[in-house]
Amino acid sequence: MVKNYSSHRKVLLERNISSLLYQIELAESYITVAEKQLTEKMNRRIENYKSNHQDELLQSYYATLTNSSIIKEMTEDAYKDLDNKLYWKKRAIKTSFERKYKSKEDQEQHQEKLNKRMMDAELKVDLKKKALLRKYDSRNITDDQMILNKKSYEEKLAAANQAISVYENQQKLILDQKMTKIKLQLETKKNKLSKKLSVKNAHMEQLLNDPKSKLRFSEDIMNETSILKIDHLTMQFGGLKAVDDLSFEVKKGEVFGLIGPNGAGKTTVFNCITQFYKPPFGNIYYRNSVNDILLLNDFKVHNVIKQGIVRTFQNVELIWELSILDNMLVGAHSLYRSTFFTHSFQTFGFKREEAILKAKAEKILSDLDLIAYKDFYPVGLPYGILKKIELARTLMTNPNLIILDEPAAGLNDSETESLALTIKQIQKDYNCTIFLVEHDMGLVMNICDTICAISFGKKLAIGTPKEIQSNKLVQEAYLGGE
Amino acid sequence: MNKLLKQTRYSWNHFKLYFKRIAKHPFFPILVLGFFLILLQVIGSTGLIRPSLLNFISPVLIRFMVALGFMLLLGYAGLASLGTAGFMGLGSYLIGYLYQTMGMPSELAFLIGIATALVLGVLVGFISLRVEGMYLAIVTLGLGEILKNFFVNSPLTGASNGMRLFDGIKILGIFSSTSQVYNPVYYLIVILMILSMVWILNIINSPTGRAMLSIKNSTSAAQAMGISIMKYRLSAFLMATLFAVTAGMLQMIRTTTSYPNSWGIDLSLNVLAAVVIGGTKNIWGVLIGTFIVFGLKDIVLSRIPFFQTYNNAHLMFSGILIIVVVMFYPGGVVKLFSDLLKIIKNVSKKISASWKEYRYGKEL
Repeated sequence: MVKNYSSHRKVLLERNISSLLYQIELAESYITVAEKQLTEKMNRRIENYKSNHQDELLQSYYATLTNSSIIKEMTEDAYKDLDNKLYWKKRAIKTSFERKYKSKEDQEQHQEKLNKRMMDAELKVDLKKKALLRKYDSRNITDDQMILNKKSYEEKLAAANQAISVYENQQKLILDQKMTKIKLQLETKKNKLSKKLSVKNAHMEQLLNDPKSKLRFSEDIMNETSILKIDHLTMQFGGLKAVDDLSFEVKKGEVFGLIGPNGAGKTTVFNCITQFYKPPFGNIYYRNSVNDILLLNDFKVHNVIKQGIVRTFQNVELIWELSILDNMLVGAHSLYRSTFFTHSFQTFGFKREEAILKAKAEKILSDLDLIAYKDFYPVGLPYGILKKIELARTLMTNPNLIILDEPAAGLNDSETESLALTIKQIQKDYNCTIFLVEHDMGLVMNICDTICAISFGKKLAIGTPKEIQSNKLVQEAYLGGE
Repeated sequence: MNKLLKQTRYSWNHFKLYFKRIAKHPFFPILVLGFFLILLQVIGSTGLIRPSLLNFISPVLIRFMVALGFMLLLGYAGLASLGTAGFMGLGSYLIGYLYQTMGMPSELAFLIGIATALVLGVLVGFISLRVEGMYLAIVTLGLGEILKNFFVNSPLTGASNGMRLFDGIKILGIFSSTSQVYNPVYYLIVILMILSMVWILNIINSPTGRAMLSIKNSTSAAQAMGISIMKYRLSAFLMATLFAVTAGMLQMIRTTTSYPNSWGIDLSLNVLAAVVIGGTKNIWGVLIGTFIVFGLKDIVLSRIPFFQTYNNAHLMFSGILIIVVVMFYPGGVVKLFSDLLKIIKNVSKKISASWKEYRYGKEL
């Protein structure tokens, strides 16, 4: 990391600047969120206040009604309930009757019993209905009293309406005060942030113009259009040379395929690029988002992702004890700015960050048609879905280079076809380079722009799919020589 | 009349909804637990509950704190340490030495104890976290034995006679350990326990907890996602040591005595057993497990004649439980509860369906 000091500083600065921009954006969007929340709270409070008044009003309202109208209002629901109960009671009587007398002759013999029991049930319900009627009919209200009742109801209604309107105005005033306060706070915060931003921008310009901070590697070490250069890479395990003096370049924005028979050292190349293996000989150069050339050999394994390189694994390496959404958030781990301290107290800033990243994860999942599996655990999901989820996880960090280790291994034909479509879609939508190892020749020939074929760690050929198909060395390696 | 009733019930329903919203918050049951524990002591101090029963609770709560730290280490970071008892002993002797021999104020001694725990955790972690799995357990086992032998032989700790605080100890002027019955230190223990539960819950539901779990599941995937393995293993180890040392200090404050024999390997193994029996990924499971391992002996088993005649039979009990849990319930006892609930729900559904069929006929 020390060797790439200036470049690292540039990346850090760029990150700082983008995070500041992000915070300013958040402060702007927070005003609408706060307004929404506060108005919701206010409405709830007003509704509560109204309901308290309604309880009193209802009783005086029923005092103003005549007997016939009150019966209409009150008995509708009660009658429905009673009829429903009668239906079930009749069914119960019928089934118990059928259980008792199984043959048809018996049933015909005792038909009268059934009829009697049915009649009894109906009679009971009728009696209940009549009792209800009597309850409301027995009210004696004289005309004078009715007039008085109506008057008092109207007075109460007017008083309640006035009280409610006063309360509403009060609440609205409070809301306005709160909103002006919040706006003031946010503006001061924004001013602070923009001051910081201007300082950082000036610093960045200084860095860019500073001759001392020039790149360690000159531009001519790598083509302008290429993103990754592997230069005389050699990797050995004991006496076995898994990769032997391999070198090639990957262009920006293309789909690059690495093919070869079993044991050719393809996965070893990947592990060397992502620094799981430290190669003894050979350099791996990479052009990052700030257009600096980095020597990847200097990086630790967990710092490679911060430069924009993400990888998947040959066997699906999802976190089995976490849900799919949480798996996506693990993929975004390098984006979190919150620390152990903020996690311990679950601060507001951390929660906001988490919510934003969750929204991002959901967006990516819905882009790849995986949103239905959001809350599932990976255990028991089909293999094709798991592969797609691993692919989705790589997108969380907005990578420049995605490295796919046998994405179609273990998939059937239709799953492979849909995978090819999603890879193409990702390359287009997320504007990134894709570098893949694959055994499925159909997939490779279908989606790759350039293909490199290796055998026993040595390069056989590099070119477009058609060139590779017609290459004799490649044919020999796959089908055997004469 | 129905409409009227519905209207009057509105405010009650409103309250119920509000309560449900609060009860969904993960801290709610923790606060309820703390309230209940404090209420128990308050009722006990009036003389309604026997002090012998109440005095068993605080040791269980202290060990629960240790088990919480151990849960983070075992269930989330996937590491097993057997030096827990050594760290607890260190905490208890440290506060005793600083308070009694050096004459420091108790609060300062407590803070120094916490700082020592952090320094020691970093030192031991950096050395021992380079090895994984069983080897880490062996390294920490050795460390625990070294600490225990130090307690037995050093004059600083009172050698094999142990250490005793003759004047008791007082923290913040309120929590004093002078009266042995209805010890006010109990409230301090409950407060610290609640705080540690909340802390652990916060860590679990954050990127830190997720990072620990992903290291446990697959180190290569974790590294590829930008997770530094050493950092998160170290932070888990640090939290476990911090909890162990704090619990040791609390133990000293409560009992005012400390014997080297009580900080042996058996305590470490019991903490491990509590976490495994309860459930390695659930704080409520750990609470149940701690109660089974440490509390059951004194509160329930001592009333059964068989366990009265054979003093150490309770060890057999927890041993059998470990075997049963590991073989049949890898999720721990806490999973048993959720499974039972599921079974009860299914059975009641079936019974009600068959009852309906019996009563109303087949065409529903």
